[in-house]
Amino acid sequence: MYAWIWRHLPGPTPLRALIAVLLIAAVIALLMLVIFPWLEPMLPFNQVAV
Amino acid sequence: MSQRQEPGTDGGRGAGYLVVRTFGELLVTAGIVVLLFVFYALYVTNWTSAQLQSESDEALTERWQEDPGPGQGTSVLPGEAFARIYIPALGEDYRYTIQSGVDADALEIGPGHYPQTAQPGEPGNFAVAGHRNGQGAPFNALDELVSCDAMVIETDRDFFVYRVLPLADEVGDWDVVRDGRPECAGVPSLRSVGDNEPYGDTIGRKIVTPDRADAVAPVPYRPQDTLSRIDQAALITLTTCHPQFSDRERLIIHGVLTQQIPKNQVNGDYHRLLDHIGEA
Repeated sequence: MYAWIWRHLPGPTPLRALIAVLLIAAVIALLMLVIFPWLEPMLPFNQVAV
Repeated sequence: MSQRQEPGTDGGRGAGYLVVRTFGELLVTAGIVVLLFVFYALYVTNWTSAQLQSESDEALTERWQEDPGPGQGTSVLPGEAFARIYIPALGEDYRYTIQSGVDADALEIGPGHYPQTAQPGEPGNFAVAGHRNGQGAPFNALDELVSCDAMVIETDRDFFVYRVLPLADEVGDWDVVRDGRPECAGVPSLRSVGDNEPYGDTIGRKIVTPDRADAVAPVPYRPQDTLSRIDQAALITLTTCHPQFSDRERLIIHGVLTQQIPKNQVNGDYHRLLDHIGEA
Protein backbone atom coordinates (compact mmCIF):
# COMPACT_ATOMS: atom_id res chain seq x y z
CA MET A 1 0.00 0.00 0.00
CA TYR A 2 2.65 2.53 1.05
CA ALA A 3 4.97 1.38 -1.72
CA TRP A 4 2.13 1.88 -4.19
CA ILE A 5 1.49 5.41 -2.91
CA TRP A 6 5.20 6.20 -3.08
CA ARG A 7 5.36 4.97 -6.67
CA HIS A 8 2.46 7.21 -7.67
CA LEU A 9 3.86 10.38 -6.13
CA PRO A 10 5.18 12.70 -8.83
CA GLY A 11 8.63 14.23 -9.17
CA PRO A 12 12.12 13.39 -7.98
CA THR A 13 12.83 11.80 -4.59
CA PRO A 14 13.11 15.05 -2.52
CA LEU A 15 9.79 16.27 -3.88
CA ARG A 16 8.18 12.90 -3.23
CA ALA A 17 9.47 12.96 0.33
CA LEU A 18 8.04 16.42 0.84
CA ILE A 19 4.64 15.39 -0.51
CA ALA A 20 4.70 12.27 1.66
CA VAL A 21 5.38 14.35 4.77
CA LEU A 22 2.54 16.72 3.83
CA LEU A 23 0.19 13.78 3.31
CA ILE A 24 1.07 12.35 6.74
CA ALA A 25 0.54 15.76 8.32
CA ALA A 26 -2.85 16.08 6.62
CA VAL A 27 -3.95 12.67 7.91
CA ILE A 28 -2.83 13.54 11.47
CA ALA A 29 -4.66 16.86 11.27
CA LEU A 30 -7.83 15.11 10.11
CA LEU A 31 -7.56 12.68 13.03
CA MET A 32 -6.79 15.35 15.66
CA LEU A 33 -9.25 17.98 14.49
CA VAL A 34 -12.23 15.95 13.29
CA ILE A 35 -12.21 12.26 14.11
CA PHE A 36 -10.75 12.23 17.64
CA PRO A 37 -12.94 15.08 18.96
CA TRP A 38 -15.94 13.12 17.71
CA LEU A 39 -14.73 9.88 19.27
CA GLU A 40 -13.48 11.27 22.56
CA PRO A 41 -16.81 11.90 24.35
CA MET A 42 -17.48 8.17 24.13
CA LEU A 43 -14.51 7.37 26.36
CA PRO A 44 -15.57 5.78 29.64
CA PHE A 45 -13.53 8.06 31.89
CA ASN A 46 -15.43 11.11 30.68
CA GLN A 47 -18.37 10.04 32.85
CA VAL A 48 -17.66 11.94 36.04
CA ALA A 49 -21.10 12.97 37.27
CA VAL A 50 -23.56 10.94 39.32
CA MET B 1 15.90 -6.61 2.81
CA SER B 2 18.11 -6.06 -0.22
CA GLN B 3 16.71 -4.13 -3.11
CA ARG B 4 17.55 -6.40 -5.99
CA GLN B 5 14.62 -5.34 -8.06
CA GLU B 6 14.01 -2.04 -9.68
CA PRO B 7 11.84 0.05 -7.36
CA GLY B 8 8.27 -0.01 -8.51
CA THR B 9 7.95 -3.69 -9.02
CA ASP B 10 7.19 -6.35 -6.48
CA GLY B 11 9.65 -8.70 -7.97
CA GLY B 12 7.08 -11.06 -9.27
CA ARG B 13 6.29 -12.25 -5.73
CA GLY B 14 2.63 -12.75 -6.53
CA ALA B 15 -0.70 -11.56 -5.23
CA GLY B 16 -0.55 -13.44 -1.94
CA TYR B 17 2.57 -11.57 -0.88
CA LEU B 18 0.95 -8.27 -1.77
CA VAL B 19 -2.18 -9.05 0.24
CA VAL B 20 -0.21 -10.10 3.31
CA ARG B 21 2.04 -7.07 3.13
CA THR B 22 -0.87 -4.66 2.72
CA PHE B 23 -2.66 -6.30 5.64
CA GLY B 24 0.45 -5.87 7.77
CA GLU B 25 0.76 -2.23 6.76
CA LEU B 26 -2.86 -1.62 7.72
CA LEU B 27 -2.33 -3.22 11.12
CA VAL B 28 0.75 -1.10 11.81
CA THR B 29 -1.19 1.97 10.71
CA ALA B 30 -4.09 1.09 13.00
CA GLY B 31 -1.66 0.72 15.91
CA ILE B 32 -0.18 4.15 15.24
CA VAL B 33 -3.67 5.67 15.03
CA VAL B 34 -4.60 4.15 18.40
CA LEU B 35 -1.42 5.54 19.97
CA LEU B 36 -2.21 8.94 18.47
CA PHE B 37 -5.68 8.76 20.01
CA VAL B 38 -4.23 8.05 23.45
CA PHE B 39 -1.94 11.03 22.98
CA TYR B 40 -4.96 13.11 21.95
CA ALA B 41 -7.20 12.04 24.84
CA LEU B 42 -4.58 12.50 27.55
CA TYR B 43 -2.55 15.47 26.27
CA VAL B 44 -4.14 17.38 23.41
CA THR B 45 -7.46 17.73 25.29
CA ASN B 46 -5.46 19.18 28.21
CA TRP B 47 -4.11 21.93 25.98
CA THR B 48 -7.55 22.77 24.60
CA SER B 49 -9.06 22.77 28.08
CA ALA B 50 -6.22 24.90 29.48
CA GLN B 51 -7.00 27.48 26.82
CA LEU B 52 -10.74 27.39 27.57
CA GLN B 53 -10.04 27.54 31.30
CA SER B 54 -7.84 30.61 31.02
CA GLU B 55 -10.46 32.37 28.87
CA SER B 56 -13.13 31.47 31.40
CA ASP B 57 -10.97 32.74 34.26
CA GLU B 58 -10.43 36.07 32.54
CA ALA B 59 -14.13 36.43 31.73
CA LEU B 60 -15.03 35.74 35.36
CA THR B 61 -12.57 38.32 36.69
CA GLU B 62 -13.99 40.83 34.24
CA ARG B 63 -17.59 40.09 35.18
CA TRP B 64 -16.89 40.48 38.88
CA GLN B 65 -15.18 43.81 38.25
CA GLU B 66 -18.03 45.06 36.12
CA ASP B 67 -20.83 44.03 38.42
CA PRO B 68 -19.93 44.40 42.08
CA GLY B 69 -23.60 44.72 42.97
CA PRO B 70 -25.33 42.53 45.52
CA GLY B 71 -26.59 39.09 44.71
CA GLN B 72 -24.92 36.43 42.60
CA GLY B 73 -25.72 33.62 40.26
CA THR B 74 -28.87 35.30 39.04
CA SER B 75 -27.89 35.37 35.39
CA VAL B 76 -25.37 32.55 35.00
CA LEU B 77 -25.80 30.80 31.67
CA PRO B 78 -25.08 27.08 31.26
CA GLY B 79 -21.36 26.60 30.77
CA GLU B 80 -20.57 30.02 32.18
CA ALA B 81 -18.24 30.39 35.15
CA PHE B 82 -19.62 31.82 38.41
CA ALA B 83 -17.05 30.80 41.04
CA ARG B 84 -13.52 29.51 41.52
CA ILE B 85 -12.24 26.50 43.43
CA TYR B 86 -8.87 26.34 45.14
CA ILE B 87 -7.46 23.25 46.87
CA PRO B 88 -4.25 24.25 48.66
CA ALA B 89 -3.35 20.60 49.41
CA LEU B 90 -3.09 19.95 45.66
CA GLY B 91 -0.70 22.83 45.08
CA GLU B 92 -0.46 26.52 45.72
CA ASP B 93 -1.47 27.26 42.14
CA TYR B 94 -4.44 24.86 42.11
CA ARG B 95 -7.19 27.11 40.81
CA TYR B 96 -10.09 26.49 38.44
CA THR B 97 -13.25 28.30 37.52
CA ILE B 98 -16.49 26.45 38.26
CA GLN B 99 -18.95 26.44 35.38
CA SER B 100 -22.70 26.06 35.64
CA GLY B 101 -23.74 22.57 34.53
CA VAL B 102 -22.16 19.12 34.33
CA ASP B 103 -22.56 18.46 30.60
CA ALA B 104 -19.56 17.74 28.38
CA ASP B 105 -19.23 21.33 27.18
CA ALA B 106 -19.09 22.76 30.70
CA LEU B 107 -16.70 20.09 31.97
CA GLU B 108 -14.33 20.66 29.07
CA ILE B 109 -13.66 24.11 30.52
CA GLY B 110 -13.19 22.96 34.11
CA PRO B 111 -15.17 21.68 37.09
CA GLY B 112 -18.96 22.06 36.71
CA HIS B 113 -21.69 22.73 39.26
CA TYR B 114 -24.74 20.43 39.45
CA PRO B 115 -27.35 23.11 38.69
CA GLN B 116 -30.04 21.73 41.01
CA THR B 117 -27.75 21.75 44.05
CA ALA B 118 -27.03 24.52 46.56
CA GLN B 119 -25.00 27.63 45.80
CA PRO B 120 -21.66 28.15 47.60
CA GLY B 121 -22.11 28.73 51.32
CA GLU B 122 -25.78 27.76 51.37
CA PRO B 123 -27.20 25.02 53.59
CA GLY B 124 -27.49 21.84 51.57
CA ASN B 125 -24.97 20.45 49.16
CA PHE B 126 -22.83 22.51 46.78
CA ALA B 127 -21.93 19.75 44.31
CA VAL B 128 -19.24 19.92 41.63
CA ALA B 129 -18.10 17.37 39.03
CA GLY B 130 -14.74 17.35 37.27
CA HIS B 131 -12.60 15.26 34.92
CA ARG B 132 -10.00 12.94 36.37
CA ASN B 133 -8.13 12.17 33.12
CA GLY B 134 -7.78 14.42 30.12
CA GLN B 135 -9.56 17.73 29.49
CA GLY B 136 -7.44 19.47 32.10
CA ALA B 137 -8.09 16.69 34.66
CA PRO B 138 -8.86 19.16 37.47
CA PHE B 139 -9.94 16.35 39.79
CA ASN B 140 -7.09 13.97 38.95
CA ALA B 141 -5.61 13.94 42.46
CA LEU B 142 -8.85 14.09 44.43
CA ASP B 143 -8.05 10.72 46.01
CA GLU B 144 -5.04 12.33 47.74
CA LEU B 145 -7.24 14.57 49.91
CA VAL B 146 -7.38 13.68 53.59
CA SER B 147 -9.67 14.86 56.35
CA CYS B 148 -9.63 18.60 57.09
CA ASP B 149 -7.93 19.53 53.79
CA ALA B 150 -9.30 22.88 52.70
CA MET B 151 -11.40 23.43 49.57
CA VAL B 152 -11.84 27.15 49.00
CA ILE B 153 -14.70 28.47 46.87
CA GLU B 154 -14.44 32.06 45.69
CA THR B 155 -17.61 33.88 44.66
CA ASP B 156 -18.01 37.53 43.70
CA ARG B 157 -18.09 38.63 47.35
CA ASP B 158 -16.80 35.83 49.57
CA PHE B 159 -14.30 33.09 50.12
CA PHE B 160 -16.02 29.97 51.48
CA VAL B 161 -13.66 27.55 53.20
CA TYR B 162 -14.88 23.98 53.21
CA ARG B 163 -12.91 21.13 54.79
CA VAL B 164 -12.94 17.43 54.02
CA LEU B 165 -15.04 15.49 56.54
CA PRO B 166 -13.50 12.67 58.62
CA LEU B 167 -12.68 9.57 56.58
CA ALA B 168 -14.34 6.22 57.18
CA ASP B 169 -11.74 4.96 59.66
CA GLU B 170 -11.64 8.26 61.56
CA VAL B 171 -15.28 9.10 62.04
CA GLY B 172 -15.84 6.66 64.92
CA ASP B 173 -13.54 8.45 67.34
CA TRP B 174 -13.25 11.77 65.60
CA ASP B 175 -12.71 13.75 68.81
CA VAL B 176 -9.60 11.68 69.52
CA VAL B 177 -8.31 11.70 65.94
CA ARG B 178 -8.60 15.43 65.45
CA ASP B 179 -7.04 16.24 68.78
CA GLY B 180 -3.89 18.27 68.13
CA ARG B 181 -4.81 19.02 64.52
CA PRO B 182 -5.68 22.72 64.51
CA GLU B 183 -6.97 22.57 60.93
CA CYS B 184 -9.71 20.21 62.17
CA ALA B 185 -11.02 22.58 64.83
CA GLY B 186 -14.15 23.53 62.90
CA VAL B 187 -14.78 20.16 61.27
CA PRO B 188 -17.65 18.26 62.89
CA SER B 189 -18.27 14.56 62.38
CA LEU B 190 -21.95 15.45 61.73
CA ARG B 191 -22.89 12.38 63.75
CA SER B 192 -25.01 14.25 66.31
CA VAL B 193 -27.27 16.17 63.91
CA GLY B 194 -30.95 15.27 64.23
CA ASP B 195 -32.48 11.85 64.78
CA ASN B 196 -31.59 8.69 62.85
CA GLU B 197 -28.20 10.09 61.91
CA PRO B 198 -29.17 11.84 58.68
CA TYR B 199 -25.46 12.25 57.92
CA GLY B 200 -24.65 8.65 58.89
CA ASP B 201 -23.36 7.85 55.38
CA THR B 202 -21.61 11.17 54.82
CA ILE B 203 -17.87 10.72 55.23
CA GLY B 204 -14.91 12.53 53.72
CA ARG B 205 -14.21 10.09 50.91
CA LYS B 206 -16.53 7.56 49.34
CA ILE B 207 -16.56 5.30 46.31
CA VAL B 208 -20.07 4.81 44.92
CA THR B 209 -21.67 3.32 41.84
CA PRO B 210 -22.58 5.75 39.05
CA ASP B 211 -26.31 5.50 39.79
CA ARG B 212 -25.98 7.15 43.21
CA ALA B 213 -27.35 10.51 42.16
CA ASP B 214 -28.23 10.99 45.82
CA ALA B 215 -24.53 11.61 46.56
CA VAL B 216 -25.32 15.22 45.63
CA ALA B 217 -28.65 15.35 47.51
CA PRO B 218 -28.96 18.11 50.16
CA VAL B 219 -28.37 15.43 52.79
CA PRO B 220 -26.17 12.94 50.90
CA TYR B 221 -27.64 9.43 50.36
CA ARG B 222 -30.94 10.46 51.98
CA PRO B 223 -34.27 11.52 50.47
CA GLN B 224 -34.69 15.19 49.59
CA ASP B 225 -36.94 15.92 52.57
CA THR B 226 -34.78 14.34 55.27
CA LEU B 227 -34.03 17.64 56.99
CA SER B 228 -35.62 21.02 56.60
CA ARG B 229 -33.34 23.45 54.80
CA ILE B 230 -32.51 25.37 57.96
CA ASP B 231 -31.24 22.19 59.68
CA GLN B 232 -29.07 21.11 56.78
CA ALA B 233 -25.30 21.38 57.10
CA ALA B 234 -23.57 23.45 54.40
CA LEU B 235 -21.69 20.78 52.49
CA ILE B 236 -19.52 20.60 49.40
CA THR B 237 -19.41 17.46 47.27
CA LEU B 238 -16.82 16.82 44.55
CA THR B 239 -17.38 13.94 42.11
CA THR B 240 -15.12 12.36 39.52
CA CYS B 241 -14.65 8.97 37.87
CA HIS B 242 -13.10 6.00 39.63
CA PRO B 243 -10.89 4.10 39.21
CA GLN B 244 -8.81 6.22 36.86
CA PHE B 245 -9.57 5.63 33.17
CA SER B 246 -12.81 3.85 34.06
CA ASP B 247 -16.45 4.73 34.52
CA ARG B 248 -17.21 1.79 36.77
CA GLU B 249 -17.55 3.89 39.91
CA ARG B 250 -17.41 7.47 41.16
CA LEU B 251 -15.02 8.97 43.67
CA ILE B 252 -16.88 11.31 46.01
CA ILE B 253 -15.33 13.86 48.38
CA HIS B 254 -17.61 15.42 50.99
CA GLY B 255 -16.64 18.54 52.92
CA VAL B 256 -18.30 20.91 55.32
CA LEU B 257 -18.29 24.71 55.44
CA THR B 258 -16.05 25.94 58.23
CA GLN B 259 -15.50 29.62 57.40
CA GLN B 260 -16.96 32.39 55.31
CA ILE B 261 -14.55 35.26 54.74
CA PRO B 262 -15.72 38.35 52.85
CA LYS B 263 -13.26 39.11 50.09
CA ASN B 264 -12.75 42.71 51.20
CA GLN B 265 -11.41 41.38 54.51
CA VAL B 266 -8.39 39.89 52.70
CA ASN B 267 -8.28 42.39 49.84
CA GLY B 268 -9.72 39.74 47.54
CA ASP B 269 -6.33 38.04 47.60
CA TYR B 270 -6.18 34.26 47.79
CA HIS B 271 -2.70 34.20 49.34
CA ARG B 272 -3.75 36.54 52.11
CA LEU B 273 -6.73 34.27 52.65
CA LEU B 274 -4.35 31.31 53.05
CA ASP B 275 -2.46 33.27 55.72
CA HIS B 276 -5.75 34.10 57.36
CA ILE B 277 -6.95 30.48 57.55
CA GLY B 278 -3.52 29.11 58.49
CA GLU B 279 -2.89 27.24 55.23
CA ALA B 280 0.05 29.30 53.98
